[in-house]
Parts: sequence; C-alpha cells; structure tokens
Amino acid sequence: MNAGSLTARAALPRSRGLGDRLGDRLLHGLTALATLLALLVVAAIVWRVADGAWPAIRLFKLGFLWHDVWNAPLDRFGARDLIVGTLVTSFGAMLLSAPLSIAIGLFLSELAPPAIRTSVGTLIDMLAAVPSVVVGLWGIYVLAPFDARHVQPLLGSILGWIPVFAHGGDHVESTVFTAMVVLTIMTVPITSSICRELFLGVPSELEQGAIALGATRWEMVRTVVVPSVRGGVVAAVILGLGRSLGEAIAVTQVIGNFIPLRASIFEPGDTIASRLANQYQGAVSSTQIAALVYLALILLAITFVTNLAARRVVERFER
Amino acid sequence: MTPAPLSLEATGRTRRRLLVSRAAEAAAVGAAAVALGALGVLIWSVGSRGAGALGWSFFTKGPALFGQAGGGIAPALVGTLLLVGVATAFALPVGVLTALYANELAPRRVARQVRLWLDVLNGFPSIVIGIFVFALCVQTSLPVIGWGRHQSAIAGGFALSIIMLPLVSRATMEVLSLVPHDLREASYALGVSRWQTVVRVVVPASLGGILTGTTLAVARAAGETAPLLFTCALAGQAVDWNPTHSVQSIPLTIFQYSESADSNLHRQAWGAAFVLIVAVLLTSLGARLLLDRSRRKLGT
Amino acid sequence: MTRRLIILTAAAALAATGAATAATTDTTITGAGSTFVAPLVSAWTPALGKAFGYTIQYSPVGSGAGIAAITNHQVDFGASDAPLTPDQRAACGDCVQIPWALSATAVAYDVPGAPAHLRLDGPTIARIFLGQITKWNDPAIRKLNPGASMPALGITPVFRSDGSGTSYNFTDYLASVSPAWKAKVGVSTQPAFPAGQGAKGSSGVAGLISRTPGAIGYVDVAYATANHIRFAAVRNAAGKFLYPSLRRIEAAAAAFPKVPAGNEMHIVNAPKSAALAYPISTYTYVIVHRSSTHAAQLRKLIFWALTQGQQPQYTAKLTFAPLSTVRSVLVAAEKTLKTVRPAA
Repeated sequence: MNAGSLTARAALPRSRGLGDRLGDRLLHGLTALATLLALLVVAAIVWRVADGAWPAIRLFKLGFLWHDVWNAPLDRFGARDLIVGTLVTSFGAMLLSAPLSIAIGLFLSELAPPAIRTSVGTLIDMLAAVPSVVVGLWGIYVLAPFDARHVQPLLGSILGWIPVFAHGGDHVESTVFTAMVVLTIMTVPITSSICRELFLGVPSELEQGAIALGATRWEMVRTVVVPSVRGGVVAAVILGLGRSLGEAIAVTQVIGNFIPLRASIFEPGDTIASRLANQYQGAVSSTQIAALVYLALILLAITFVTNLAARRVVERFER
Repeated sequence: MTPAPLSLEATGRTRRRLLVSRAAEAAAVGAAAVALGALGVLIWSVGSRGAGALGWSFFTKGPALFGQAGGGIAPALVGTLLLVGVATAFALPVGVLTALYANELAPRRVARQVRLWLDVLNGFPSIVIGIFVFALCVQTSLPVIGWGRHQSAIAGGFALSIIMLPLVSRATMEVLSLVPHDLREASYALGVSRWQTVVRVVVPASLGGILTGTTLAVARAAGETAPLLFTCALAGQAVDWNPTHSVQSIPLTIFQYSESADSNLHRQAWGAAFVLIVAVLLTSLGARLLLDRSRRKLGT
Repeated sequence: MTRRLIILTAAAALAATGAATAATTDTTITGAGSTFVAPLVSAWTPALGKAFGYTIQYSPVGSGAGIAAITNHQVDFGASDAPLTPDQRAACGDCVQIPWALSATAVAYDVPGAPAHLRLDGPTIARIFLGQITKWNDPAIRKLNPGASMPALGITPVFRSDGSGTSYNFTDYLASVSPAWKAKVGVSTQPAFPAGQGAKGSSGVAGLISRTPGAIGYVDVAYATANHIRFAAVRNAAGKFLYPSLRRIEAAAAAFPKVPAGNEMHIVNAPKSAALAYPISTYTYVIVHRSSTHAAQLRKLIFWALTQGQQPQYTAKLTFAPLSTVRSVLVAAEKTLKTVRPAA
C-alpha cells in the first residue's frame, strides 16, 4: 500500500514513459501540497490564537489562570471562574453520560431483541448528528423549565445539605446543572454508538466460552466484554468530554452567563466557550479582546490535552 | 430406590449470582430507557412544535418586520446552501488529496503524523476556529480569503471547511485502506503507473466511501453555529446568492430566534430546527445507504 | 425520470426564492449594532426602499459589536446607544456619531400578582441589581407600593451578556442615583453585574424575563410593549413615579438642551425642574466614517432618518420621540452630518 512495494517495482515490464513520470510527480506534488495546506491550517490556528493572546499574556501572565475578577470597564480580567465553569460542566456531563452510554451500548449489543436493536441503533446514530443549536433550543424551552420545576427542587430536597446541590433561587432555569444535562444529551449518542460498536466487536467465542463455563450474563459482561474494550470505552468517553469542553452555543443558551461561580450547580454560571460567544464581538477595549483570545488559547490547550489523553489511553489498552 | 428428582432451578450462591445478573440487566435497560426517553422527547418536541410552523410562506419569505407576524426563513435556507457549497468546495479536494497522500504515497511515519494532526484539528473547538477565521479573513486589511474587510459567505464557508476537513479526510483514509491490495497489485502487474493506478483504480473503488464521508461532513457543517458568529453574521433580510456578501444561515437564525420573547419567532425557530434535523437525518441516511452499497461493491 | 423531477423541483425552488431576492446592487447599505434602534430601522427600511431605492441590511448584534464593525469597516454604518469612548473614538479614526433617535429603557419584570406598573425608585433598583434585595416582598419594595400584595418570590435580575448600549444607558442612570453602584460597577456597555443571569440581545432579555417568574431586567420600551411584558414606574427627581411614554421621554430630552462637541448626550435622571421626565431616557447614535464608499448614500439616508424618519407613523408605535423635540440636537445632528462627504 505504501511507497515502493517490491512487487510493484518488479512487476513493471517496461521503463516508464515521460507521461507516467510526470503524472506520478504531479500526483505526488498535488497531494503533498494539499497535506501541507491542511497542516498549515492547524499551525496557523495555533499561531494566530497565540499571537492575538500575546498582549494579554504579557499583561496578566500566568496569574490570569487563577484571578477571578472579570470586569471589562476596569480592564481587569481573570479566567479562574470560567476555567472552573468549563471543567465542572464538562466533567459533570461526562459523569452523567458515561454510565448512560455504556448502558445503551450493552443494551443494544447484548440485551435487546434484534428488531429493537436495528431501529434504536439507527435512531442513536442519527441523533449524533443533531446540531448543537437545536439541542440548545430544546434545552431552553423544554428541558430548562422541566429542570426548574421538577428536577432541581427534587434533587435539592434530597441532596440539598451538600453545598454543591444547595437550592438556588426560585425557579432559576438557566443553571450549570441545565447546561450539564444539555451536554449529556449531546454526547450520549456519539459515545453510546461507539460503545455499541466496541461491544459488538468482542468475538462471540469469548462470550460463549464464558457462558459455557457457567457465568451469568452480567458476569460474562463484567469479565469478558468490558475488559477487552476498556480502552475504547474510555477513549469514547474522553471524546465526548472533548466535545463538551468546546461547546459554545448550546451551553450559552442555557447556562445563565454569570460569574463569579457560586458553590451550587443550581445557580447560573459560565464557561470559556460561552463567554467567547457572548463578548468577543462587542468587546469594549483591545485589552478585552486580547483577554478573550487568551481564553481561547487556554481552551485550545485544554482540548488538545484531552485529545492527547484519549489517544494515549487507546494506545495503552490496545496492547 | 428412586433418585431425588433433578431440578435445574438455581439454589444458594448460583441463585444470588443470577439475581445480580438480572438486576444488572434491569439497570442497563432502565438507564438506556431514561437516555433514549430524553432523546425521544427531543425528537418529539422538534417534530410537534416545528411541523406547525411549516408552510409556503415559511419557505419563500424573509423575516418579517419587527413585531409583525409571519415571515419565513428563505434567506437562511439559501444562505446555508451557499455556505455549505463554499465549504465543500474547499474541504473536499483538500481532504481527499490529503488522504491520498497519507494512505498511498507518504512514508509510514509521515502518514502517522498527518493522521495525528488531523485528529488534533478535529478536536479544536468550533468557536476558536471562528475566531481564527475572523482574525485571518475579516479583520485583516490584507484579505487572505475574505474578499476585503467584511464578513462574507466565503469567510464563513472557509471556517466550515476547516471543520469538515478532518471528517472528509478520515473517512477517505478509512475507505482507501479498505480497497483490497490485490487491486493495486494487479494494476501494477499490468504496467500501469502509480498515478494512473491511484486515479483510475483506487479512487473509483472508494468513491462511495468518499461520498459518504463528505455527506456526513456536510451534515455536520450545515448545523454549526459558532464558526459563523464572527464570520458571516451581519446579513441582510432578503435572499442573497452573492458569496462575497454576508448571508443568513439556518443555525444562526435558530440561535437568534431561540432567545427572543416573540412567540412568532419561537415557532419559526422550531420550524427551522425541524427542517435542519430532517435535512441532517436524510443526509445521514443517504450516507449510510451509500456506505452499504460501496461496502458491498468492495466485497467486505 | 427521477432526474428530471429533481431538476424541475430545484428550478421551482429557485424561482420561489427569487420572489424574496434582494437587489444586491450598489444601493445596498449595510449596518450593524444596537438592538435598541432595530425596530425603528426595521420600520424605516421599506420606506427608504421606496424613497431612494436603497436596500438596508441591518444586523442587530448589539451596540458593542456595532462599534467594532464600523471601526473595522465591515459595514457602512454602525448604530449604538452608547457614545464612543475616547479609546473607541481614536480607534475608529474619522468616525462621527450622530444622534438619530430618542427613546427610553424600561425596567421590565415578571411577577405574578404584582400591579401593572410597579413603583420603584433608583436606589431600590440599584440595590436589586447589586443583589442586596433578594425577595419581591422586601420592605423597601413594599414601602414604595402600599396596597400591593407582593409575593415572597425570589428576585432574578436579568442583564445583557453582550456589549450593549442599553446596559450603558441603564448603568448611566444607576450610577447617577446610587453612589454604591457607581463605586462597585460603574457605567459601561459590558458592566460586571454582581447578580442575576445574562441574555444576549434585547430580545434575549425580553425572552428570559417572560420565562422566569420573579425576573426583573432592563430592555428598550419597544421590546417590552411588543412582548406584553410589564414595566415599572420609576421615580424621577421631582418625586413622580412614571413609566416611559412619548411625552415623558420628550420631557427628559427637553431638560438637556445643550449639545456638547462630540454629540455625547446624557439625559438620564433629569433634574427636579423637569417634572414629567422619565429618568431612564436616552438618545441613540448612528456612527459613520467621514469618507467612505457609500458616503453620498449615507448622507441621504441619515438626513431622511433625521427628518422624515421621525414622523409619528414610524416612531409613535415604537415609543420613539421625535428628534425635533430639542431643536439644538437636531441642528447639531445635521451639522455633523454635513461633515460626511463623498470620497473625492
């Protein structure tokens, strides 16, 4: 498949004509150029964002990461609450979506009758393609009121003694919790679809073997299926995490756009991507623009690290 | 002496293990039901609220004046078509050529690097890509692609193409690797040059998969909002086919209408969401059919 | 057969969209900015098309974004309710700001059981938005509204999350009536509000208020009336509780007859002598470069807006008062407009 397979060279019965050599060169050059362009785009994005953030980096240095005042008129900017908000909403969504995705994956690969398997499986695949703005629209008018009227009071009454679940204001619809649920809805289709493929890929001999040895279905899943696809599942979950971290539109529609962050998830909050969507266009001063691009750089770094982690996990478990 | 009757019923430890298994199964089914229920409610909401907004004027008129009833999303429909067209024109050639290079022509180490960095690009948040294209095309006085210092469908399409590129490329790489090696070997054995092998044998065999990947990438790009916020948001109220102008788009329209208090605009937001979901679902379905057909052709 | 059908359908679709096509010729004038003035520009657009053949493409992206857009030459005109800061004026180069409409910011609320025009005064509003008053049945609110039964509902302040001239106007007012506000938050298009939730755009704020029982926010009168949201009667310097109306906006404008050099007008919290003034009134500006490709068309457009565009058929329903209320402002506006000259 790759350059210079011995078979290919040995099989050529005659010397290649000018047209062939030119064509080869042209193809090589064209495709290499395209690849260079693609890689150039990646480099250009990183460079442009770093360049735009440079005035803010010079001004605020690393203290930007743990100062928490974001005051545009006074030109005082600190990213701490936005970073925390980003991590809390995305990790919260991951905690919610991972078990649900694994459950759906198991359901579709092991437990469901074949008729349901195909129809629900197709539904899940298609839901993975629903645009985030539509999930956000649904979040505003269906999910958020439901959360505010039923879920949040319920959870607040059971777990309200823990500060994280303390009761927010009366009927507060736009909260960190609502954003978490929206992100969960967005990531479950992708992650569960990958999980289903992984579980289906486990050789049936292994599964049958475990059953033949007397394992119950749950034990079979626990001892055979899960260990063999552990890496893939973790990678899929981290993939979902990566998408949540960068999600701007659906989050900004339901999160309330407010910092400083309060202790409870039933209060409004904000994330980096959401703040960029709101403030980048109408920034008051060039310092604010640079601070916002500094935020973008931080977000880029966070998603890059997440991506790398997913690859590392796959590599480690693939052995 | 008659032996004790044989019973297959589980007792003791085995019974406990079975109960645990049943409970785990029930939990899995329950969790799946909860998640699928929520997703089902999503589809149902869009369907029931959006279907009511559809109509002839919805598809042919532009937005109504402030406070007035009626109006439609015709400019947004046209704008999205334009944006997706520009994005595909950028992303399809670059994506396919990159995949060809990585899979057919490059040494293995280079190919691995290319795949890595395309994966990195795939993971970039779309809003950061929007900021990048804004800084590059809209803000600079030396326009790279944006045709001068204003927002345009070309700038917006370029931003969407950056999002499409890794998807097209990865799908093409996958389908290229599915082409049986024997086909290539046979072509070389007949004395065909490398470039002719690639162009006349490998690519046609993978065309179905390339189309599938592109279709899925198009479906994704059609629904992206964040990259358009800064590159193609200052648009007019009427249908505009000019790519050097800023145009309306369906996801941005949904975003703008979604937060308003006007119930007329709400209804149109649901209607636009309905149209978008149906379009995305149809393209995904079409892509799957294409993929199945191309898989059958390749004999996998 | 199917292919022909597809082509025919596509052609029909194109023809249908042609019905709504814009004449994208040289007379397309692009603008962006204030959501505050968007209803009025929307009302002007068909009339301008009929008068001059101009197609106005206006994007209500917020005053902050409008200032950025006109600074970067992305549009022909920018619209902002907030005057340019010295930094913005320097960045914009040869920009001029021209007041071209006059209206007010309403303090809108969604409180079931509250009266139609709740009475509030400046210091109380400031304390609400500072997060110091948290329930609707707080004694401070009840004192201003004797006889009203206020529910024990939590207050959710709603503010603009994007760069907004309405935020500027509202914080301008709060800073003039509350020293605590002036010290803690100040006046800006993007103030750091200490409490509540943010929404994007005037329509976003109106939407969030109407969805959230207990919410209170600031939004232009046109949006509040169009969406049937109730708004407060605010106490002015003369002690009267007034909700915004044409006469009261005119009274506020009339209290400030002098126009400073850069056309920057502050007409909030009019002095006691203006008994009928609504205290959160504001002008809104159009910002253009002195020389640009569409300078000639912009001159005609803005002159029309300053004169014909102020007629009641466009302005009255949207609660915009005519610019001619204060003669000196109209004169200053026209004088500034004269410096906008077509490129040589």
